[in-house]
Amino acid sequence: MSLLQVENVSKKFGDLVAVDGVSMTVEPGELRAVIGPNGAGKTTFFNLISGFLTPSSGRIVFDGEDVTKMLPARRVWRGMARTFQITEVFPELTARENLRIAVEVASGYRLKTWLSRDADGEVRARVTDLLEMGGLADEADRLVGELSHGDQRATEIMMALALKPRLLLLDEPTAGMGDQETYNITQLIRKLHHDKNQTIVLIEHDMRVVFHLADRIMVLAEGAMLAEGTADEIAKNEAVQAAYLGKAA
Amino acid sequence: MVRLDKPAAEAAPVNGRMPPLSTIRLDKRAADALVWLLLLTAPFWMQWIGGYTELGSRVLVMALAAMALNFLLGFTGVLSFGHAAYFGLGAYGCAMTIKYLVPSTPVGIVVGIIVGTAAAMIIGALIVKLRGVYFAMVTIAFGQVFYFITFRWNNVTGGDDGLTDWHRMPLDFGFAKLDILHNAEAFYYVILFCFAVSVGIMALLLRSPFGRTLLAIRENERRARFLGIPVDRHIWLSFVISGAFASVAGTLYALLNNFVDPRALFWGQSGNFVIMAVLGGMRSFWGPLVGAVIFVVLQDYVSSQTENWESFIGLFFVLVVLFFPRGVLGIIRRRTAP
Amino acid sequence: MTQLILFNVFNGLIVGAFYALMALGLSLILNLSGVINFAHGGFLAIGGYIAYVLIPYIGFWGALLVAPFLTAFIGLLVERVLIRRLYGRDPLYSLLLTFGLAYIIEDGTRFIWGAQSVPYQVPDWLMQPLSADYFFLTGYRVFMVLLVGVAVAALFLILTRTRLGLRIRAGTLDLETVSVLGVNVRLLRNLNFGLGIYLAGLAGVLAAGMLGLQPVIGFSLIMPSFVTIIVGGLGSLPGTLLGGLLIGVTSGVTTVFFPSASEAVIYILMGVVLLVRPRGLLGEEGRF
Repeated sequence: MSLLQVENVSKKFGDLVAVDGVSMTVEPGELRAVIGPNGAGKTTFFNLISGFLTPSSGRIVFDGEDVTKMLPARRVWRGMARTFQITEVFPELTARENLRIAVEVASGYRLKTWLSRDADGEVRARVTDLLEMGGLADEADRLVGELSHGDQRATEIMMALALKPRLLLLDEPTAGMGDQETYNITQLIRKLHHDKNQTIVLIEHDMRVVFHLADRIMVLAEGAMLAEGTADEIAKNEAVQAAYLGKAA
Repeated sequence: MVRLDKPAAEAAPVNGRMPPLSTIRLDKRAADALVWLLLLTAPFWMQWIGGYTELGSRVLVMALAAMALNFLLGFTGVLSFGHAAYFGLGAYGCAMTIKYLVPSTPVGIVVGIIVGTAAAMIIGALIVKLRGVYFAMVTIAFGQVFYFITFRWNNVTGGDDGLTDWHRMPLDFGFAKLDILHNAEAFYYVILFCFAVSVGIMALLLRSPFGRTLLAIRENERRARFLGIPVDRHIWLSFVISGAFASVAGTLYALLNNFVDPRALFWGQSGNFVIMAVLGGMRSFWGPLVGAVIFVVLQDYVSSQTENWESFIGLFFVLVVLFFPRGVLGIIRRRTAP
Repeated sequence: MTQLILFNVFNGLIVGAFYALMALGLSLILNLSGVINFAHGGFLAIGGYIAYVLIPYIGFWGALLVAPFLTAFIGLLVERVLIRRLYGRDPLYSLLLTFGLAYIIEDGTRFIWGAQSVPYQVPDWLMQPLSADYFFLTGYRVFMVLLVGVAVAALFLILTRTRLGLRIRAGTLDLETVSVLGVNVRLLRNLNFGLGIYLAGLAGVLAAGMLGLQPVIGFSLIMPSFVTIIVGGLGSLPGTLLGGLLIGVTSGVTTVFFPSASEAVIYILMGVVLLVRPRGLLGEEGRF
């Protein structure tokens, strides 16, 4: 069974149609990229999947369950985690503390986790693992607000990962980054995908990243799906080229 | 200061030499120990600096109220400006119990806490979905309802004149009696005991996973929500806990003065609690205590010197906002952080 | 009995119109700048006292004309010197600051003019009832309602017909866009604050005639203004108007049946509105 099925979903704001009848199916273990010119509705599409917005029409089925109208927090508990275009972390806490909160929330609110020494040790161990995976071990005890853009984004991705999501949604993970940071984040995402078999859907503008990582690509333009296929297919697609050349990406 | 985790290396020697004293963060445990030491010995050293035991009691009561408020304001990031309601309800609950029902101090305290906490539970539920300035306005408004009730219901509450003809009852432990009515030092230690228990519980909560989720909500509500944290429920809980301890402070306030009047519920009182928290440092655990010390002592002094002490309080508010927004402990923290 | 109810309803409408006037000023400031002006009542008192000082020289009508402008001027200064610094910050700070100002103003007016009511001269002919049957229809009360009506209409015209008004409305919706369009946002906030304070000052001149002028008048009127905005709905000026009338009438009618609950009832109304419609009767979705 597919992990995520988006069925003909639309979102209207008054007369403005932000997302127009888009469908998407994501299989477990896949890395899907969603691309398109600015204003194509990509983030709105993500907001619909993650529950930040409710669709005007259409259905969203996650792991066999209809989550179309489900509140965001509950979708998180069902296994969906996301990052945001503008990094959303806890700025006045350290990276370690940020991750600790994520790990603790993910392990539930059992009294045992609070009181037991072992559980506490488990939490700390997991936090250390996540810090290392994200390349944050050196910065672990600095306030996240003071870290570089790339490290903040890595922290956010690691927080999402701490929730042990079945589906990870990344909204423009390399936005605003220079070459080195883009490389680091791309490597991180690749590691998650290949080593951990994490199912990922990401929005991206940087084509190098997209072609490097994605199994399949979906192209949105003006709210509707323009094309869908493998990296090769999309690269050759004339309509896609027109959409990008017609409006600067 | 609440630290969630010990940093990987704390003031470790660099190149074989210890870093200069100013860069070593005050070890939290040492700071806590110092505070408790000062509080435990207060009746003794206060005399030397021109203070008196009752002033110390008053500082503790206000500090508890301010710390209770700060649980919500500084640690959950929720702007409540109506905490005088729970403070005052605790005070009236206690006073009215002693006067009309059972002349017993512990019973008075318990009833006061129940009344204040119940109000916090109800009001919290009504307003939990609101945010920002709107939330603040509504908390102020609700605070005023209780003010009017106590004001108008004068045959029961004494109205504007307040509730008189009652006093705190001696504590009977069976094997010994503690005359807290006439013995100011004894009562100070009773208050300190209540303070310690309350503060201890609050610290425990803040250090727990629950406390960390409150911090998360303060730092970034959206991110908290997208980690799966049930934000509204947590805000409600924080509101109730905060109101509960404010009502504890209220009961002690009534007992301390052997009197309570509607002024305890007035929005001015709420503002005082907030300014104490801000002045001392909202982000520090002990901040409100520091703020309470400064505020209570200052108010005591100024009101004995001039009739226009209200202007001074007002000016004080303005100056703190303009020049000390991070509070005393906030400034110190910045200076000593590496 | 009917006369009694009628009297209280009418009185309630007058008081309500009055609350609305005050709350409109508060609302203007809140909507554009996100500042809860707790000192609004203080400015009302200042308006009243300035009028009191001026009346012996320029008469009641002169004071009515001049005092609100002077009050607004003071408001402009306060905004420029104090409040302006706090815009980027947590709303906590502007609330605390205006809190402090409220104290200073109250104590200051008490210091200058004493805690007791001062004799406030309203023209005699205004105080006469208009008809023997409806004795409660004094000229002054009718005049107040008319004046509030005029003020609200004028505000409406300013907001819809002038450039300033247009910018205020646009700024209320999206201040950032407005500034990008080249509008001087600082000046806009300043003038908007002044406009709000003008209304407070006007309310003060009127209130003094009806309630008597003493320092606590500001404190006692600030809370109903808050409730007005909460009931009417945040972000909505028509809502504020409606809210004011509603709580005025509710309070008035309650006086007939439960006189001691007449103050508390507006908070009960507020509680009910919050329960049923958290953003207020005409409030906008997602405002806060």
